[in-house]
Amino acid sequence: MKVSYYPGCTLKTKAKNLEDAAVASMAALGVDFEELTRWNCCGAVHSLADDDLIHQVAPVRDLVRAMEQGSDKVVTLCSMCYNTLARANLLMRQDEVKRKTINDFMNEEKDYHGEVEVLHFLNFLRDQVGWDTVRNAVKVPLNGLKVAMYYGCTLMRPRNVAIEPIGDTRIMGEFLEAIGAAPVDFPEATTCCGSYQILANPEAAHDVSGRILESAIRAGAEAMVLSCPLCEFNLSKKQPEVLKKNKISREVPVYYFTQLLAMALGLGQEACRFDLNSECSVELLKNKNFPV
Amino acid sequence: MGYTPEMKELIKRVEATRPARMEKARRGENFPALSLEERAVVLEKFHPDYQKEGRRPIRTGPDKGLVLPEEIASMLESRSMLRPENVDLSNPDFETDVLIVGGGGAGTSAALLAADAGVRVIMTTKLRHGDANTMMAEGGIQAAVQESDSPYYHYMDTIGGGHFTNQSDLVAALAHDAPLSIAWLESLGMMFNKFPDGRLISRHFGGSSRKRMNSAGDMTGAEIMRVLRDEARNRGDQITILEFCPAVELILDEDGKCAGAILYNMETREFFIAKAKATIIATGGNGRLHIKGFACTNHYGATMDGVVMCYRAGVGSTCLFSTQYHPTGVAYPEQNVGLLITEKVRGLGAHVLNIDGEQFCFPLEPRDVESAELIKEALEVGKAVITPTGRYGLWLDSPMIDLLHGEGTVRRELPAKFIQFERHGIDISKEPMLVYPTLHYQNGGIAINADCETTIPGLYSAGECTGGLHGENRLMGNSLQDVITFGRRSGAAAARYVNGGVELKKLTLDHVVKYEKELVEAGVENPMVAPILLPDYSTDEVASRRLLEIQGKLEAE
Amino acid sequence: MSHHHDSKEPKQKKKVQVATGDRAILPEGATTIPVYIMGKRYEVPETLTIMKAMEYAGFKFLRGAGCRGGICGACPTVYRKPGDYKLHFGLACQTVVEPDMYLAQIPFYPANRAAYKIEDLEPNPEIIFSLYPELFRCVACNNCTKACPMGVDVLGYISALKQGDIARAAEISFDCIQCGMCASRCMGELPQYHIAQLARRMYGRAIMPRARHLAKRVEEIESGKYDEMLKSLQTMSHGELEKRYKEREREPDMAPNGTWLPANDPYL
Repeated sequence: MKVSYYPGCTLKTKAKNLEDAAVASMAALGVDFEELTRWNCCGAVHSLADDDLIHQVAPVRDLVRAMEQGSDKVVTLCSMCYNTLARANLLMRQDEVKRKTINDFMNEEKDYHGEVEVLHFLNFLRDQVGWDTVRNAVKVPLNGLKVAMYYGCTLMRPRNVAIEPIGDTRIMGEFLEAIGAAPVDFPEATTCCGSYQILANPEAAHDVSGRILESAIRAGAEAMVLSCPLCEFNLSKKQPEVLKKNKISREVPVYYFTQLLAMALGLGQEACRFDLNSECSVELLKNKNFPV
Repeated sequence: MGYTPEMKELIKRVEATRPARMEKARRGENFPALSLEERAVVLEKFHPDYQKEGRRPIRTGPDKGLVLPEEIASMLESRSMLRPENVDLSNPDFETDVLIVGGGGAGTSAALLAADAGVRVIMTTKLRHGDANTMMAEGGIQAAVQESDSPYYHYMDTIGGGHFTNQSDLVAALAHDAPLSIAWLESLGMMFNKFPDGRLISRHFGGSSRKRMNSAGDMTGAEIMRVLRDEARNRGDQITILEFCPAVELILDEDGKCAGAILYNMETREFFIAKAKATIIATGGNGRLHIKGFACTNHYGATMDGVVMCYRAGVGSTCLFSTQYHPTGVAYPEQNVGLLITEKVRGLGAHVLNIDGEQFCFPLEPRDVESAELIKEALEVGKAVITPTGRYGLWLDSPMIDLLHGEGTVRRELPAKFIQFERHGIDISKEPMLVYPTLHYQNGGIAINADCETTIPGLYSAGECTGGLHGENRLMGNSLQDVITFGRRSGAAAARYVNGGVELKKLTLDHVVKYEKELVEAGVENPMVAPILLPDYSTDEVASRRLLEIQGKLEAE
Repeated sequence: MSHHHDSKEPKQKKKVQVATGDRAILPEGATTIPVYIMGKRYEVPETLTIMKAMEYAGFKFLRGAGCRGGICGACPTVYRKPGDYKLHFGLACQTVVEPDMYLAQIPFYPANRAAYKIEDLEPNPEIIFSLYPELFRCVACNNCTKACPMGVDVLGYISALKQGDIARAAEISFDCIQCGMCASRCMGELPQYHIAQLARRMYGRAIMPRARHLAKRVEEIESGKYDEMLKSLQTMSHGELEKRYKEREREPDMAPNGTWLPANDPYL
């Protein structure tokens, strides 16, 4: 098995904490985790053309890059990148006509037929690394930390690229348990955070974000984990506006799941990068006497 | 594509002598350089500048009697594109503080420094902004920036390389300003070749005593030009750029001060009056006059326009008889003939070899001496390669570079040259190049002082169109330093002059009338019309069918 | 009237011509081939570059010719070959004519350029994003890279910038000659070459370490350290200059920069 790692642009700019924590964790777990040497945007950009096939050119090109390097799997962290790459891959595997059109259009590249498997990091942890390995490597179990498992939409929808069958989502819970935390399920765990509405219609985005935060608080969570920089933006960076608009009195610390992993593995601040999280996120960990 | 089988056989001779030569090079041993006396002998006998035929005294103007190449003399003995009596100077189309003629490295540096001093600038250029010899300079820019070096050695190398014929105030200004120029370019964001700690990578070059050649890949001039052009575009509020709009005549005022120029929109063929308190001529060189029919390395627009306009207005020249032949122009493949192969190739250690793979000269002599030695090896010794198209060529052993400095050096240090040859199926990191001297640089030009002033108040000049700095031979890397140092100086000096208060009187073209009268009196028949702006490469057959032009010429005569 | 040589016509035996300057000739032994310049057929000698072939055919360039050496970006040319749907791009001064090629020059292509003050710019990708928000309209179609006559990985440097890696973008884009072909083919309407220029200047100014020895030399010069030395050189006799010139010590070739210093040198 050779695994390529596809980071995505946001992880190199606005979500370094999502990445640094994951990369360091993989090293700590002894997993060879190699970033693609050449890659472009996953294609999660707004529409430029009516023909939606052009949107598939970017993700397919990244899959070609992985194939070129001889990888049969490509792992990604960001939910949005995962979604885009996985859907493009499905299309290339299943739709013969569109596959030919895209391959013909990208005639400077090798033909691609879905040779590479796209994995989200959580699946990779579970299936390739294994929860037991993770559990045994934990140095700082997150005892008693009640964490809401927020999946958002792009890990779960559409159904054919969901990281787990919808209605039977256990992976985030298994993950949190493996690092010693107490997973908190809540009704809005797969509700959309408001996504790009934050640009065109911020009020509407704040409404749904508010519903998600409130629901997590009511379920007894002290904090929330997620894997998508856009969700993180709406639920954490924009949290002050969300709380104000929805008259919620309590702040909710938000972390990337990779950060909790890194902390549990005993990796330092260099890996965890809590410096890029909100103040209340750091405070909570300090209050719990975790090494921040 | 690539070398023919016959040429590949010859390359085996180069490869046969390479191991022994490599061993010497690693020990730091070189083919011995010539003494000053030996240099004089080889120059006298083989350098085109020293040959008598193709030269004659000029009959008119401030340098009357000076012996010049035929092509230059007849271009200076020329009449104007304009009929002065038909030109109404009373309603200028443009008015500005400083008019800069030429949009290359010198003109653009001048524009930036003038803008820094708070004056309004119009920069007018014959082709696009940046279409200039600056763009083409590959190897590097001199400046005494390393601890082992100083302005003293820069001065010494420059004046010795110029056979002590250089104008000393200009050499001192260059040596003094050169590190300042580099610091300026660094602050503008130029990507110099550096070590990881930021130290500039400086190399030897022909005629150097110290490592002084700083570079940016093998497109140093292009990188300089890109950065300067980008910066000028950021200053749109102060600098107006007029492209495809060369100056064709200077305008003076009644007191004899320079008062701007007449511009010619080459696309619409309209003339415009540009009135300016100060004017800077930065029009570049004359390679496209193809002196003695040599191929050249120059830009398409290198037709000596500035020298012509200034000469007609009464400004004399310095060293204008001197032309630089670059020792290593491409001799094969035919598509690239005449194009420059940067001296950096020899600076990196490549040997120059004859048909038997033998060294016959020190590879880093001053350029004129090196050129003369190559011509001698071809003409007198008879050991040049003859290319399939009948040209002389000598080997430049570029594969030595990777062997000396590590695999990949050629690709990294000479990327543009690598691509250029790769297009024609030659891998210069593995196969040597065939070279022969080519017309490269106008050594002399408009006479200036260290503040870039000419003999006409308000008229300044900088860059390749000027003379004196290099004397009768220019060292590599002093041309790029010339355009930056004197471009900056001219811009600052012109702005100072304007800020000191300039009162222009009535505008006039009387100097043109006077010069054309002198042509008649000197018996110059059928003078050409100049500046010519662009060379004409149409074949004889095409030219013979251009009936309207032929008819026009007949009428003029 | 077409004046190309028909193969049925007897070829005239020409006397040996010598090429002077840049004027193209029909080299000995070379034959002519047809090319279509903006759709119109001309017979030109094979082996010539597109630029020289067009001049041979009688064109006189105003736009579309510059350095004639492959570095200025004035002569980008787009062409197609018979039986091949692909667009090809090249520089007219560097590309050799092929039989039946259809070509057109694109000497200018408009592109958005953002003005900025370099001294105010932190080397921060966010600044590039705000000056060129269209950067994120890239869909990685790769047409830019395919159009580049210099073989620059344009998508590569645009991707590097979206990833916030200015240094990588600067290095990848270094060979750019700003001819504009990338921008002409971009469905996201990006001005790639202007964005790259900004990245390179940020990199050269604020990411690459500054040369400390240069700053020191500038200080020395501005303090007047070399003024007297240079003044005395200007009035020195020819004989003395020549003597000193011959006596100069040459820095050893293989000495790395910053390591070799001559002892007791009063001129440093």
